[in-house]
Amino acid sequence: MKYLIELQNLSFQTGGAGPAITVSAGLPAGSVLFISGPSGVGKTTLLRTISRLHGSISGEVYLDGQSWASYSVFQWRRLVHYFPQKPVLFSGTVRDNLTIPFTVARVSKDVVLNHDRAKRLLTLLLPGKSPEQDASTLSGGESSRLALIRALLIEPAVLLLDEPTAHLDRKTGTLVLQALAGWLNEQPRRGIIMVSHGNDAAQLVEMGASTDILNLGGRGKGAWDK
Amino acid sequence: MNGNEIIPISNFQLALSVILVLLAGSVSALLRLGLLKSLLWGTVRTFVQLFLIGYALTYIFNLNSPPVIFAIILIMCAIATHAATRRSSNVPDYPKAIGFLSLTASTFLVGGIVVGLIITPEPWYSARTVVPIFGMILGNSMNGIALSLDRLYSETRSHIAEIESLLSFGATPWEAMRERIKEALRAGMTPTINSLMVVGLVSLPGMMTGQILGGADPREAVRYQIVVMLMIAAAVAVGCLMLVLLSYKHLFTEDAALNTTKIKVKQ
Repeated sequence: MKYLIELQNLSFQTGGAGPAITVSAGLPAGSVLFISGPSGVGKTTLLRTISRLHGSISGEVYLDGQSWASYSVFQWRRLVHYFPQKPVLFSGTVRDNLTIPFTVARVSKDVVLNHDRAKRLLTLLLPGKSPEQDASTLSGGESSRLALIRALLIEPAVLLLDEPTAHLDRKTGTLVLQALAGWLNEQPRRGIIMVSHGNDAAQLVEMGASTDILNLGGRGKGAWDK
Repeated sequence: MNGNEIIPISNFQLALSVILVLLAGSVSALLRLGLLKSLLWGTVRTFVQLFLIGYALTYIFNLNSPPVIFAIILIMCAIATHAATRRSSNVPDYPKAIGFLSLTASTFLVGGIVVGLIITPEPWYSARTVVPIFGMILGNSMNGIALSLDRLYSETRSHIAEIESLLSFGATPWEAMRERIKEALRAGMTPTINSLMVVGLVSLPGMMTGQILGGADPREAVRYQIVVMLMIAAAVAVGCLMLVLLSYKHLFTEDAALNTTKIKVKQ
Protein backbone atom coordinates (compact mmCIF):
# COMPACT_ATOMS: atom_id res chain seq x y z
CA MET A 1 0.00 0.00 0.00
CA LYS A 2 1.27 3.38 -1.03
CA TYR A 3 0.27 5.56 1.87
CA LEU A 4 0.08 5.20 5.63
CA ILE A 5 -2.77 7.68 5.74
CA GLU A 6 -4.67 9.12 2.84
CA LEU A 7 -7.30 11.87 2.67
CA GLN A 8 -9.69 11.35 -0.23
CA ASN A 9 -11.75 14.42 -1.12
CA LEU A 10 -12.14 15.13 2.57
CA SER A 11 -14.56 18.01 2.87
CA PHE A 12 -15.14 20.01 6.03
CA GLN A 13 -16.34 23.35 7.27
CA THR A 14 -14.64 25.70 9.73
CA GLY A 15 -16.79 27.15 12.49
CA GLY A 16 -20.53 27.27 11.96
CA ALA A 17 -20.84 28.62 8.43
CA GLY A 18 -17.43 28.90 6.82
CA PRO A 19 -16.92 27.82 3.22
CA ALA A 20 -16.45 24.10 2.71
CA ILE A 21 -12.84 23.09 2.12
CA THR A 22 -11.98 19.92 0.27
CA VAL A 23 -8.55 18.32 0.46
CA SER A 24 -6.89 15.22 -0.90
CA ALA A 25 -3.49 14.15 0.30
CA GLY A 26 -1.47 11.08 1.11
CA LEU A 27 1.28 10.50 3.61
CA PRO A 28 3.82 7.71 3.13
CA ALA A 29 4.87 5.90 6.30
CA GLY A 30 7.79 7.47 8.11
CA SER A 31 7.23 10.99 6.81
CA VAL A 32 5.82 14.32 7.90
CA LEU A 33 3.15 16.31 6.11
CA PHE A 34 3.10 20.02 6.90
CA ILE A 35 -0.14 21.91 6.53
CA SER A 36 0.37 25.52 5.58
CA GLY A 37 -1.95 28.40 4.89
CA PRO A 38 -3.01 31.75 6.32
CA SER A 39 -4.38 31.77 9.86
CA GLY A 40 -8.11 31.15 10.12
CA VAL A 41 -8.17 29.06 6.94
CA GLY A 42 -9.01 25.87 8.83
CA LYS A 43 -5.72 24.12 9.55
CA THR A 44 -6.70 23.19 13.09
CA THR A 45 -10.17 22.14 11.93
CA LEU A 46 -8.57 19.91 9.29
CA LEU A 47 -6.54 18.10 11.97
CA ARG A 48 -9.63 17.78 14.16
CA THR A 49 -11.63 16.47 11.23
CA ILE A 50 -8.99 13.85 10.41
CA SER A 51 -9.14 12.56 13.99
CA ARG A 52 -12.96 12.60 13.92
CA LEU A 53 -13.31 15.22 16.65
CA HIS A 54 -14.98 17.46 14.08
CA GLY A 55 -17.58 16.23 11.64
CA SER A 56 -16.71 15.99 7.95
CA ILE A 57 -19.16 16.85 5.19
CA SER A 58 -17.99 14.20 2.76
CA GLY A 59 -14.95 12.23 1.72
CA GLU A 60 -12.96 9.62 3.55
CA VAL A 61 -9.68 9.04 5.31
CA TYR A 62 -7.82 5.77 4.89
CA LEU A 63 -5.40 4.34 7.40
CA ASP A 64 -3.30 1.45 6.11
CA GLY A 65 -5.67 1.24 3.16
CA GLN A 66 -8.77 0.90 5.32
CA SER A 67 -11.51 3.50 5.41
CA TRP A 68 -12.09 5.31 8.69
CA ALA A 69 -15.64 4.00 8.56
CA SER A 70 -14.33 0.49 9.22
CA TYR A 71 -12.72 1.56 12.51
CA SER A 72 -14.66 2.33 15.67
CA VAL A 73 -14.38 6.06 16.34
CA PHE A 74 -12.67 5.34 19.67
CA GLN A 75 -9.99 3.19 18.10
CA TRP A 76 -9.56 5.71 15.30
CA ARG A 77 -8.95 8.60 17.68
CA ARG A 78 -6.22 6.72 19.48
CA LEU A 79 -4.56 5.65 16.22
CA VAL A 80 -4.97 8.96 14.43
CA HIS A 81 -4.36 11.10 17.46
CA TYR A 82 -4.97 14.83 17.60
CA PHE A 83 -2.57 16.82 19.77
CA PRO A 84 -3.92 20.36 20.38
CA GLN A 85 -1.92 23.54 20.46
CA LYS A 86 -2.70 23.98 24.15
CA PRO A 87 -2.85 20.46 25.53
CA VAL A 88 -4.61 19.84 28.83
CA LEU A 89 -3.06 18.49 31.97
CA PHE A 90 -5.32 16.82 34.48
CA SER A 91 -5.08 17.42 38.21
CA GLY A 92 -2.55 15.12 39.87
CA THR A 93 1.10 14.29 39.47
CA VAL A 94 3.23 13.93 36.35
CA ARG A 95 2.75 10.17 36.64
CA ASP A 96 -1.07 10.55 36.93
CA ASN A 97 -1.05 12.53 33.72
CA LEU A 98 0.86 9.83 31.90
CA THR A 99 -1.42 7.05 33.12
CA ILE A 100 -4.77 8.79 32.65
CA PRO A 101 -5.27 7.59 29.05
CA PHE A 102 -4.97 4.05 30.36
CA THR A 103 -8.11 4.57 32.47
CA VAL A 104 -9.94 4.65 29.15
CA ALA A 105 -11.22 1.18 28.31
CA ARG A 106 -10.27 1.38 24.63
CA VAL A 107 -6.66 2.34 25.41
CA SER A 108 -6.10 -0.24 28.14
CA LYS A 109 -7.46 -2.90 25.78
CA ASP A 110 -5.17 -1.98 22.87
CA VAL A 111 -1.98 -0.73 24.48
CA VAL A 112 0.22 -1.73 27.39
CA LEU A 113 1.84 1.21 29.14
CA ASN A 114 5.54 1.00 28.35
CA HIS A 115 7.21 2.16 31.55
CA ASP A 116 10.72 2.08 30.07
CA ARG A 117 9.72 4.31 27.22
CA ALA A 118 7.90 6.65 29.63
CA LYS A 119 11.07 6.96 31.68
CA ARG A 120 13.23 7.49 28.60
CA LEU A 121 10.94 10.21 27.23
CA LEU A 122 10.74 11.92 30.62
CA THR A 123 14.52 12.07 30.86
CA LEU A 124 14.75 13.38 27.32
CA LEU A 125 11.96 15.96 27.35
CA LEU A 126 11.58 16.88 31.01
CA PRO A 127 15.04 16.36 32.51
CA GLY A 128 15.13 16.71 36.28
CA LYS A 129 11.37 16.31 36.75
CA SER A 130 10.13 13.64 39.11
CA PRO A 131 7.08 11.54 38.21
CA GLU A 132 5.72 12.44 41.64
CA GLN A 133 5.80 16.19 40.99
CA ASP A 134 2.44 17.94 40.96
CA ALA A 135 1.67 18.59 37.29
CA SER A 136 0.17 21.99 38.06
CA THR A 137 3.64 23.25 39.04
CA LEU A 138 4.95 22.75 35.49
CA SER A 139 5.45 25.74 33.19
CA GLY A 140 3.48 26.07 29.96
CA GLY A 141 6.27 24.60 27.84
CA GLU A 142 6.87 21.77 30.29
CA SER A 143 3.15 20.99 30.35
CA SER A 144 2.97 20.63 26.61
CA ARG A 145 6.03 18.35 26.59
CA LEU A 146 4.45 16.20 29.29
CA ALA A 147 1.29 16.01 27.20
CA LEU A 148 3.40 15.01 24.19
CA ILE A 149 4.94 12.13 26.14
CA ARG A 150 1.41 11.08 27.10
CA ALA A 151 0.36 11.17 23.45
CA LEU A 152 3.33 9.02 22.40
CA LEU A 153 2.59 6.44 25.10
CA ILE A 154 -0.84 5.58 23.69
CA GLU A 155 1.00 4.48 20.52
CA PRO A 156 -0.82 6.27 17.76
CA ALA A 157 -0.03 5.43 14.13
CA VAL A 158 -0.43 9.03 13.00
CA LEU A 159 0.11 12.08 15.18
CA LEU A 160 -1.78 15.22 14.25
CA LEU A 161 0.20 18.04 15.80
CA ASP A 162 -1.06 21.59 16.07
CA GLU A 163 1.97 23.89 16.32
CA PRO A 164 3.86 21.69 18.75
CA THR A 165 6.80 24.10 19.06
CA ALA A 166 4.85 27.38 19.10
CA HIS A 167 5.33 28.12 22.79
CA LEU A 168 8.81 26.68 23.18
CA ASP A 169 12.19 28.37 23.01
CA ARG A 170 14.46 27.27 20.18
CA LYS A 171 16.38 24.77 22.23
CA THR A 172 13.38 22.92 23.67
CA GLY A 173 11.68 23.17 20.29
CA THR A 174 14.58 21.26 18.77
CA LEU A 175 14.37 18.76 21.61
CA VAL A 176 10.70 18.13 20.84
CA LEU A 177 11.42 17.73 17.11
CA GLN A 178 14.20 15.28 17.91
CA ALA A 179 11.81 13.24 20.04
CA LEU A 180 9.30 13.27 17.17
CA ALA A 181 11.88 12.27 14.58
CA GLY A 182 13.02 9.48 16.89
CA TRP A 183 9.44 8.28 17.37
CA LEU A 184 8.89 8.32 13.61
CA ASN A 185 11.86 6.05 12.96
CA GLU A 186 11.31 3.74 15.90
CA GLN A 187 8.74 1.67 14.03
CA PRO A 188 7.99 1.36 10.31
CA ARG A 189 4.36 2.45 10.08
CA ARG A 190 4.20 5.85 11.68
CA GLY A 191 3.54 9.33 10.36
CA ILE A 192 2.98 12.92 11.41
CA ILE A 193 0.68 15.59 10.05
CA MET A 194 1.66 18.95 11.45
CA VAL A 195 0.52 22.54 11.44
CA SER A 196 3.49 24.80 11.97
CA HIS A 197 4.49 28.38 11.31
CA GLY A 198 8.14 28.13 12.29
CA ASN A 199 11.05 26.42 10.67
CA ASP A 200 10.13 23.02 12.06
CA ALA A 201 10.14 21.60 8.53
CA ALA A 202 13.73 22.65 7.87
CA GLN A 203 14.85 21.24 11.20
CA LEU A 204 13.07 17.93 10.64
CA VAL A 205 14.66 17.62 7.19
CA GLU A 206 18.04 18.22 8.83
CA MET A 207 17.20 15.37 11.20
CA GLY A 208 16.65 13.15 8.18
CA ALA A 209 12.84 13.08 8.03
CA SER A 210 11.10 13.23 4.68
CA THR A 211 8.56 16.02 4.60
CA ASP A 212 5.94 17.49 2.33
CA ILE A 213 3.54 20.41 2.34
CA LEU A 214 -0.22 20.57 1.93
CA ASN A 215 -1.31 24.12 1.25
CA LEU A 216 -4.73 25.18 2.48
CA GLY A 217 -6.32 28.31 1.09
CA GLY A 218 -3.20 29.55 -0.65
CA ARG A 219 -2.53 29.30 -4.40
CA GLY A 220 0.40 26.90 -4.20
CA LYS A 221 -0.28 23.20 -4.17
CA GLY A 222 1.71 20.55 -2.40
CA ALA A 223 2.99 17.53 -4.21
CA TRP A 224 0.54 15.23 -2.42
CA ASP A 225 -2.43 17.22 -3.74
CA LYS A 226 -4.06 15.30 -6.53
CA MET B 1 -60.86 13.70 69.41
CA ASN B 2 -57.86 15.88 70.18
CA GLY B 3 -60.02 18.99 70.67
CA ASN B 4 -58.13 20.97 68.04
CA GLU B 5 -60.23 22.54 65.34
CA ILE B 6 -59.15 24.32 62.20
CA ILE B 7 -59.75 28.07 62.65
CA PRO B 8 -61.49 29.28 59.50
CA ILE B 9 -60.34 32.53 57.85
CA SER B 10 -63.35 34.72 56.97
CA ASN B 11 -63.47 37.00 53.95
CA PHE B 12 -62.85 39.98 56.20
CA GLN B 13 -59.85 38.32 57.80
CA LEU B 14 -58.52 37.41 54.36
CA ALA B 15 -58.88 41.03 53.27
CA LEU B 16 -56.80 42.04 56.28
CA SER B 17 -53.89 40.04 54.87
CA VAL B 18 -53.53 42.81 52.31
CA ILE B 19 -51.90 44.76 55.17
CA LEU B 20 -48.96 42.43 54.69
CA VAL B 21 -48.72 43.41 51.03
CA LEU B 22 -48.82 47.09 51.97
CA LEU B 23 -45.93 46.45 54.33
CA ALA B 24 -43.84 44.83 51.61
CA GLY B 25 -44.97 47.47 49.10
CA SER B 26 -43.91 50.39 51.29
CA VAL B 27 -40.43 48.89 51.63
CA SER B 28 -40.22 48.72 47.86
CA ALA B 29 -41.59 52.24 47.38
CA LEU B 30 -39.40 53.75 50.09
CA LEU B 31 -36.18 52.32 48.71
CA ARG B 32 -37.29 52.66 45.07
CA LEU B 33 -36.66 48.99 44.41
CA GLY B 34 -38.96 49.08 41.41
CA LEU B 35 -40.72 45.96 42.65
CA LEU B 36 -44.09 47.48 43.43
CA LYS B 37 -45.73 46.55 40.16
CA SER B 38 -44.52 42.94 40.32
CA LEU B 39 -45.56 42.72 43.95
CA LEU B 40 -49.11 43.87 43.24
CA TRP B 41 -49.37 41.64 40.16
CA GLY B 42 -48.03 38.74 42.21
CA THR B 43 -50.59 39.39 44.92
CA VAL B 44 -53.44 39.38 42.44
CA ARG B 45 -52.15 36.20 40.89
CA THR B 46 -51.78 34.51 44.28
CA PHE B 47 -55.42 35.27 45.08
CA VAL B 48 -56.76 34.22 41.71
CA GLN B 49 -54.60 31.11 41.20
CA LEU B 50 -55.17 29.73 44.68
CA PHE B 51 -58.91 30.37 44.68
CA LEU B 52 -59.20 28.66 41.33
CA ILE B 53 -57.09 25.72 42.45
CA GLY B 54 -59.17 25.51 45.64
CA TYR B 55 -62.36 25.12 43.64
CA ALA B 56 -60.65 22.79 41.15
CA LEU B 57 -59.34 20.54 43.91
CA THR B 58 -62.75 20.39 45.61
CA TYR B 59 -64.23 19.33 42.31
CA ILE B 60 -61.49 16.80 41.62
CA PHE B 61 -61.65 15.29 45.12
CA ASN B 62 -65.39 14.85 44.80
CA LEU B 63 -65.09 13.42 41.31
CA ASN B 64 -62.24 11.08 42.36
CA SER B 65 -61.90 9.62 38.85
CA PRO B 66 -58.62 7.84 38.00
CA PRO B 67 -58.39 9.11 34.38
CA VAL B 68 -58.88 12.70 35.55
CA ILE B 69 -56.27 12.32 38.30
CA PHE B 70 -53.86 10.78 35.82
CA ALA B 71 -54.41 13.59 33.33
CA ILE B 72 -53.93 16.23 36.02
CA ILE B 73 -50.64 14.70 37.13
CA LEU B 74 -49.40 14.61 33.54
CA ILE B 75 -50.29 18.29 33.12
CA MET B 76 -48.44 19.06 36.35
CA CYS B 77 -45.41 17.16 34.99
CA ALA B 78 -45.51 19.18 31.78
CA ILE B 79 -45.69 22.49 33.65
CA ALA B 80 -42.86 21.42 35.97
CA THR B 81 -40.72 20.43 32.97
CA HIS B 82 -41.33 23.78 31.37
CA ALA B 83 -40.31 25.58 34.56
CA ALA B 84 -37.24 23.41 35.13
CA THR B 85 -35.86 23.75 31.61
CA ARG B 86 -36.78 27.35 31.00
CA ARG B 87 -35.28 28.92 34.08
CA SER B 88 -31.69 28.55 32.92
CA SER B 89 -30.20 30.75 30.22
CA ASN B 90 -27.27 28.41 30.64
CA VAL B 91 -29.06 25.64 28.79
CA PRO B 92 -29.86 26.58 25.20
CA ASP B 93 -32.19 24.50 23.05
CA TYR B 94 -32.88 21.87 25.62
CA PRO B 95 -35.04 18.99 24.37
CA LYS B 96 -38.01 19.15 26.72
CA ALA B 97 -38.95 15.54 26.03
CA ILE B 98 -36.00 14.28 28.08
CA GLY B 99 -36.90 16.54 31.01
CA PHE B 100 -40.53 15.49 30.84
CA LEU B 101 -39.64 11.83 30.68
CA SER B 102 -37.27 12.01 33.67
CA LEU B 103 -39.67 14.04 35.80
CA THR B 104 -42.67 11.91 34.96
CA ALA B 105 -40.92 8.59 35.40
CA SER B 106 -39.33 9.51 38.73
CA THR B 107 -42.56 11.03 40.00
CA PHE B 108 -44.65 8.00 39.11
CA LEU B 109 -42.07 5.57 40.46
CA VAL B 110 -41.66 7.27 43.82
CA GLY B 111 -45.28 8.44 44.05
CA GLY B 112 -46.42 4.91 43.28
CA ILE B 113 -44.32 3.49 46.12
CA VAL B 114 -45.52 6.13 48.58
CA VAL B 115 -49.20 5.86 47.72
CA GLY B 116 -49.37 2.15 46.94
CA LEU B 117 -47.08 0.73 49.65
CA ILE B 118 -46.75 3.27 52.45
CA ILE B 119 -49.89 5.42 52.77
CA THR B 120 -52.34 2.96 51.08
CA PRO B 121 -55.44 5.19 50.96
CA GLU B 122 -58.92 3.82 50.22
CA PRO B 123 -59.42 3.66 47.25
CA TRP B 124 -55.74 3.48 46.18
CA TYR B 125 -56.19 6.28 43.67
CA SER B 126 -57.82 8.66 46.19
CA ALA B 127 -57.34 12.12 44.71
CA ARG B 128 -57.07 13.65 48.19
CA THR B 129 -53.82 11.69 48.71
CA VAL B 130 -52.47 11.25 45.21
CA VAL B 131 -52.66 14.83 43.94
CA PRO B 132 -50.87 16.54 46.87
CA ILE B 133 -48.26 13.77 47.18
CA PHE B 134 -47.40 13.82 43.47
CA GLY B 135 -47.44 17.60 43.57
CA MET B 136 -44.90 17.71 46.39
CA ILE B 137 -42.66 15.23 44.60
CA LEU B 138 -42.83 17.25 41.39
CA GLY B 139 -42.20 20.60 43.03
CA ASN B 140 -39.00 19.29 44.57
CA SER B 141 -37.64 17.11 41.82
CA MET B 142 -38.26 19.99 39.44
CA ASN B 143 -35.76 22.09 41.38
CA GLY B 144 -33.28 19.23 41.59
CA ILE B 145 -33.50 18.61 37.87
CA ALA B 146 -33.11 22.29 37.05
CA LEU B 147 -29.93 22.42 39.17
CA SER B 148 -28.50 19.22 37.67
CA LEU B 149 -29.20 20.34 34.16
CA ASP B 150 -27.67 23.73 34.71
CA ARG B 151 -24.57 22.20 36.25
CA LEU B 152 -24.21 19.59 33.50
CA TYR B 153 -24.04 22.33 30.88
CA SER B 154 -21.83 24.72 32.83
CA GLU B 155 -19.42 21.91 33.80
CA THR B 156 -19.20 20.77 30.20
CA ARG B 157 -18.67 24.30 28.97
CA SER B 158 -15.84 24.94 31.41
CA HIS B 159 -14.14 21.60 30.68
CA ILE B 160 -14.30 21.40 26.90
CA ALA B 161 -10.54 20.94 26.55
CA GLU B 162 -10.43 18.13 29.12
CA ILE B 163 -13.41 16.33 27.59
CA GLU B 164 -11.93 16.56 24.09
CA SER B 165 -8.56 15.44 25.40
CA LEU B 166 -10.16 12.29 26.82
CA LEU B 167 -12.05 11.76 23.57
CA SER B 168 -8.81 12.07 21.63
CA PHE B 169 -7.35 9.17 23.62
CA GLY B 170 -10.32 7.06 22.55
CA ALA B 171 -12.69 7.63 25.48
CA THR B 172 -16.40 7.10 24.99
CA PRO B 173 -18.66 10.09 25.73
CA TRP B 174 -19.50 8.39 29.03
CA GLU B 175 -15.81 8.09 29.99
CA ALA B 176 -15.13 11.64 28.91
CA MET B 177 -18.14 13.01 30.80
CA ARG B 178 -18.01 10.87 33.96
CA GLU B 179 -16.61 13.62 36.21
CA ARG B 180 -19.02 16.20 34.76
CA ILE B 181 -21.96 13.86 35.32
CA LYS B 182 -20.97 13.29 38.93
CA GLU B 183 -20.81 17.03 39.52
CA ALA B 184 -24.23 17.53 37.93
CA LEU B 185 -25.77 14.85 40.14
CA ARG B 186 -24.15 16.31 43.25
CA ALA B 187 -25.52 19.75 42.41
CA GLY B 188 -29.04 18.39 42.00
CA MET B 189 -29.07 16.23 45.13
CA THR B 190 -27.15 18.35 47.63
CA PRO B 191 -29.98 20.74 48.60
CA THR B 192 -32.31 17.81 49.32
CA ILE B 193 -29.70 15.99 51.38
CA ASN B 194 -28.96 19.20 53.29
CA SER B 195 -32.64 19.62 54.01
CA LEU B 196 -32.72 16.09 55.49
CA MET B 197 -30.04 17.26 57.94
CA VAL B 198 -31.78 20.35 59.26
CA VAL B 199 -35.46 19.53 58.90
CA GLY B 200 -37.37 20.48 62.05
CA LEU B 201 -34.36 22.33 63.47
CA VAL B 202 -34.33 25.44 61.31
CA SER B 203 -37.96 25.53 60.22
CA LEU B 204 -40.98 23.32 60.20
CA PRO B 205 -41.72 22.08 56.70
CA GLY B 206 -44.78 23.58 55.02
CA MET B 207 -46.72 20.36 54.84
CA MET B 208 -46.28 19.62 58.53
CA THR B 209 -47.15 23.20 59.47
CA GLY B 210 -50.26 22.90 57.35
CA GLN B 211 -51.34 19.68 59.02
CA ILE B 212 -50.77 21.14 62.48
CA LEU B 213 -52.73 24.31 61.67
CA GLY B 214 -55.38 22.03 60.23
CA GLY B 215 -55.77 20.40 63.64
CA ALA B 216 -53.61 17.29 63.26
CA ASP B 217 -51.65 15.83 66.15
CA PRO B 218 -48.02 16.98 65.65
CA ARG B 219 -46.85 13.41 66.24
CA GLU B 220 -48.97 12.26 63.29
CA ALA B 221 -47.86 15.20 61.16
CA VAL B 222 -44.24 14.23 61.83
CA ARG B 223 -44.80 10.75 60.46
CA TYR B 224 -46.18 12.16 57.23
CA GLN B 225 -43.31 14.59 57.02
CA ILE B 226 -40.74 11.82 57.33
CA VAL B 227 -42.32 9.94 54.46
CA VAL B 228 -42.45 13.16 52.45
CA MET B 229 -38.79 14.02 53.07
CA LEU B 230 -37.59 10.57 52.07
CA MET B 231 -39.81 10.41 49.02
CA ILE B 232 -38.48 13.79 47.88
CA ALA B 233 -34.90 12.58 48.32
CA ALA B 234 -35.67 9.47 46.28
CA ALA B 235 -37.51 11.36 43.55
CA VAL B 236 -34.73 13.94 43.21
CA ALA B 237 -32.09 11.20 42.99
CA VAL B 238 -33.96 9.15 40.41
CA GLY B 239 -35.06 12.20 38.41
CA CYS B 240 -31.59 13.77 38.28
CA LEU B 241 -29.95 10.48 37.37
CA MET B 242 -32.37 9.82 34.54
CA LEU B 243 -32.14 13.35 33.27
CA VAL B 244 -28.35 13.49 33.29
CA LEU B 245 -27.92 10.04 31.76
CA LEU B 246 -30.38 10.85 29.00
CA SER B 247 -29.05 14.36 28.34
CA TYR B 248 -25.29 14.03 28.24
CA LYS B 249 -25.39 12.04 25.01
CA HIS B 250 -27.34 14.87 23.49
CA LEU B 251 -24.17 17.00 23.76
CA PHE B 252 -22.33 14.68 21.38
CA THR B 253 -22.62 14.12 17.66
CA GLU B 254 -23.48 10.77 16.14
CA ASP B 255 -19.75 10.19 15.69
CA ALA B 256 -19.22 10.69 19.47
CA ALA B 257 -17.60 14.12 19.11
CA LEU B 258 -18.45 16.92 21.52
CA ASN B 259 -20.98 19.19 19.84
CA THR B 260 -19.89 22.57 21.16
CA THR B 261 -22.71 24.42 19.42
CA LYS B 262 -25.13 22.67 21.81
CA ILE B 263 -23.54 24.25 24.86
CA LYS B 264 -22.94 27.73 23.50
CA VAL B 265 -24.77 30.34 25.54
CA LYS B 266 -27.26 32.28 23.47
CA GLN B 267 -26.34 35.93 23.08
